[in-house]
Amino acid sequence: MVLADYKYKDIIHRCFRCGYCKFPTDWMDVNNCPAYARFRMESYSCGGRLWLIRAWLDGKIDWTDHLAQIVFSCVACKNCAEKCPLNFSDNIVDMITAAKSEMVERGSIPSAVKNFLENIQRQGNPYGDARIKRGEWVEGTGIKQYEGQEFLYYVGCVGSYDTRAKETAKTLGEVLLKAGVSFGVLGNEENCDGNEVNKLGEESLFQMLAEENIQKFKDLGVRKIVTLSPHSYNAIKNDYPKFDGSFEVFHYTQLFQDLIKGGRLNVSGGLNARVTYHDPCFLGRWNKEYDAPREVLNAIPGIELAEMERNREATLCCGGGGGNFYTDFLGGSETNPARIRIREAYATGASAVAVACPNCMTMLEDAVKAEGLEEKLKIRDISEIVGEACLVKRD
Amino acid sequence: MDIVVAIKQVLDTSEAVDVVEIDASGKDIKKGALISRINDWDEYALEEAVQLKQKLGGTVTAVTVGPGEWDDTLRRALAMGADRAIRIDEDAAAMDSCVVARVLTALISRLSYDLIMFGAQSEDLGSGQLGPMVAEMLGIPHATLVVSLQVQEGEARVSRELEGGVLELYTLKLPALLTIQTGINRPRYVSFASIKKARDKELKVMSLGELGLSREALTPMVKLEKLELTPAGKRAELISGSAEEAAANLATILKNSGVILSG
Amino acid sequence: MAEILVVAEHRKQGLADISLEMLTKGRQLADRASGELLAVLIGKDVSRYAPQLAQWADKVLAVKNDKLEQSLAEPYQKTLSPIIKERKPKLVLIGHSSFGMDLAPALAVELGAPLATDCTNIAMKNGVVTVTRSIYNGKVNAVYSLAPSETVIVTGRPGEFPVEEGQQRGSVEEIDYPLEEEIDYKRLEGYIEPEVSEVDITQAEVLVSVGRGIKDKGNIEIAEELARALGGVVACSRPVVDYGWLPSGYQVGLSGKTVKPKLYLAIGISGAFQHMVGIRGSKMIIAINKDVKAPIFTVADYGIVDDIFKVVPILTQKINELKG
Repeated sequence: MVLADYKYKDIIHRCFRCGYCKFPTDWMDVNNCPAYARFRMESYSCGGRLWLIRAWLDGKIDWTDHLAQIVFSCVACKNCAEKCPLNFSDNIVDMITAAKSEMVERGSIPSAVKNFLENIQRQGNPYGDARIKRGEWVEGTGIKQYEGQEFLYYVGCVGSYDTRAKETAKTLGEVLLKAGVSFGVLGNEENCDGNEVNKLGEESLFQMLAEENIQKFKDLGVRKIVTLSPHSYNAIKNDYPKFDGSFEVFHYTQLFQDLIKGGRLNVSGGLNARVTYHDPCFLGRWNKEYDAPREVLNAIPGIELAEMERNREATLCCGGGGGNFYTDFLGGSETNPARIRIREAYATGASAVAVACPNCMTMLEDAVKAEGLEEKLKIRDISEIVGEACLVKRD
Repeated sequence: MDIVVAIKQVLDTSEAVDVVEIDASGKDIKKGALISRINDWDEYALEEAVQLKQKLGGTVTAVTVGPGEWDDTLRRALAMGADRAIRIDEDAAAMDSCVVARVLTALISRLSYDLIMFGAQSEDLGSGQLGPMVAEMLGIPHATLVVSLQVQEGEARVSRELEGGVLELYTLKLPALLTIQTGINRPRYVSFASIKKARDKELKVMSLGELGLSREALTPMVKLEKLELTPAGKRAELISGSAEEAAANLATILKNSGVILSG
Repeated sequence: MAEILVVAEHRKQGLADISLEMLTKGRQLADRASGELLAVLIGKDVSRYAPQLAQWADKVLAVKNDKLEQSLAEPYQKTLSPIIKERKPKLVLIGHSSFGMDLAPALAVELGAPLATDCTNIAMKNGVVTVTRSIYNGKVNAVYSLAPSETVIVTGRPGEFPVEEGQQRGSVEEIDYPLEEEIDYKRLEGYIEPEVSEVDITQAEVLVSVGRGIKDKGNIEIAEELARALGGVVACSRPVVDYGWLPSGYQVGLSGKTVKPKLYLAIGISGAFQHMVGIRGSKMIIAINKDVKAPIFTVADYGIVDDIFKVVPILTQKINELKG
């Protein structure tokens, strides 16, 4: 491989291994890179990866399974970009993604990533479940197909197929109905938003997904989109415009914030609980939205919001990005970042962790079981907490 | 080193949860929501051929006998590294293995080849006949169920898989035909970009007539009489309930059968 | 008079089981058609095995070739072809083994005979042979008829035709291998026995076996935990080895190991016949798979149709609770 063909060839050598990429914004803990927290080896930090990538592209080391695993263990949480002192710090995650792209184009990728991408190519979701089952979660909710309503409620793959996340998708829809929001879903017509595909470096597949989605949205006259997942939010907001797709897109917590302020969503039913909020990376660090979810939680009487030590920009990622909710490169140990996060959440004395992302939901649900804390610490999506507070009942 | 790889496209019924149905004719299954893709064994054969080409130089030609939809799989083969692809435009489902073998033989005998590779069998019908039949028709040596391959100086050194994991080692003089077993390598990922790039490569479609053959003259000797769905789980006692309930029931069954020892 | 010819296969350890299965089936078909059964064996120790074949066959042709320690396709093809052309048996039966797969199609083309392979049922009526085959990953059964011909060839699936003791006392004719020349275009170089792995899964009483449904290497730990809870050992089906998630010593099945544990738990295994052949001797088989149509449920004693990632961890937990 020739370094000359690499997208970031002019800057990759400039990482001088200061090591700041492992720290959170407040310097509190050296283990804020989820892969580094898991493996505690420099190779797994952003800087370590950049050096290995440069060595590989320059022909100094060969491609191996191990190298691929190191590169693909980056879950694109963007913690490293917060602290990196270099003036191209905003690009450092993209530099790792570009290296993933090199491997993708040669076909030399870990088998779990191969399955992930092939499943999306064939069935429009990483699980390889049938397309015709994508819209099944809607059953029994009264949620309608999109036919020009004010909002398109875009669910995403995890919300459509993952058993636990489907409950969240349903509850969110029911809350929106209760608040009188005019919206519809695409059901089986919905296809993967491509955010993880993009972060896994499969650029042309992402482009294909984006362009197809954009055309579909345009044909249906979609102007406003509300997403369940921050991953979808990120792709539609930041990447779709490159392919001529500009829509007004909201993460649902932002819409809730508006609805509560405008009196259209009545959460006065309240709830008595001490909860802690886990910032999702694709809402938080990637899109700087730290307040809306907190305002929603604080608007519910009886909710006591306890912050974990690492919050907002300093949040420790659950490890669910970069396709890792499926490929699971950071699992198999108590140093799995999701398990570290659960221990942190438990330490706040909260009885529930509030999440705003289906990927975080699946990662933390598995982690809380691995920690043996499933009776003591519940994982609740904000839509479910709001749902309880506005008395949305479902059998 | 010129290599010809024979491939086919199949409907993926491996993980098809409950969606296999017999169609109106009673002679085939409904496509329905099933995904079409390259036959698993053929993917390994293609990967092996491409790796050999990358090591020794030469060309890889992918061939098939099938309908237009199978061009997707040929394009994938080109994206994986085949240099050109040829499809004989016929519905192979209406032929038996011997007829398909005759058609492939007629095609391959017009190509220059040192090595011919087939997947050991197909996922859908699983007869495993095509490879050795074509070898016999071409008059070249063959070896089936190959799990390792090295080519040097006009010879192929292979190991064949026998029962129980025993390997049988052979040296074959080239040109030879090999049928490839799964697990021989790890097939590469085919990116969307590489599929698009492969559109520039040659995909030729030919008719039986161009091979000097006619449908009427090719009579199958094996005739499908009928298809039936196999009954679901006819032996297992299925434990119902939620995951929690079923697991608890099963644990109790295991305890009662003496498998679980306390302490 | 109709003649059925069974091609007998032998390995270093003795006659292959599949040959006994084909002999049993051949005997049944011969009796029903009032015909005769001929068994052909080629190799070094034919004198030793011929009497065993004569328990089913009316006649045994034992072809002596001191260079042939185990059955090989090429010498068999060269020997059988003139025998079949001369005797014109109505039906030739071969086991669908690795050897059978190498031999049958080439032999069929040389003879111009119709061929059906990997059959789960074989019938002969009024001179027409019909077979049943299991297709589409075991989800569909297909019945085929072979064109009426002088000779047709059928290979039978291992394990489908239970062996019954033969009651015959057939005659044995020993002849010399007819060919002088070596076959130089396909030279046998030797054999490699499988590696002895650290864990001998054939000795375990409890096996927790994973298949493609485990989706990745990292997920195997849920099976390991279940195995620990049950005092057992992890095993797997072929795809898991193909993908490099476990070494080949853990593979159960036709090209792997045959196991007879007290309990065989199949997790995310669809039940391809090559796998099921390796577990037939298990005392209890339990399958967990989200596909109710997975063939594994046709051999399992109990089954749970659900997501293995949900069920297995809970099962481990429940078992640990019951253990106290």
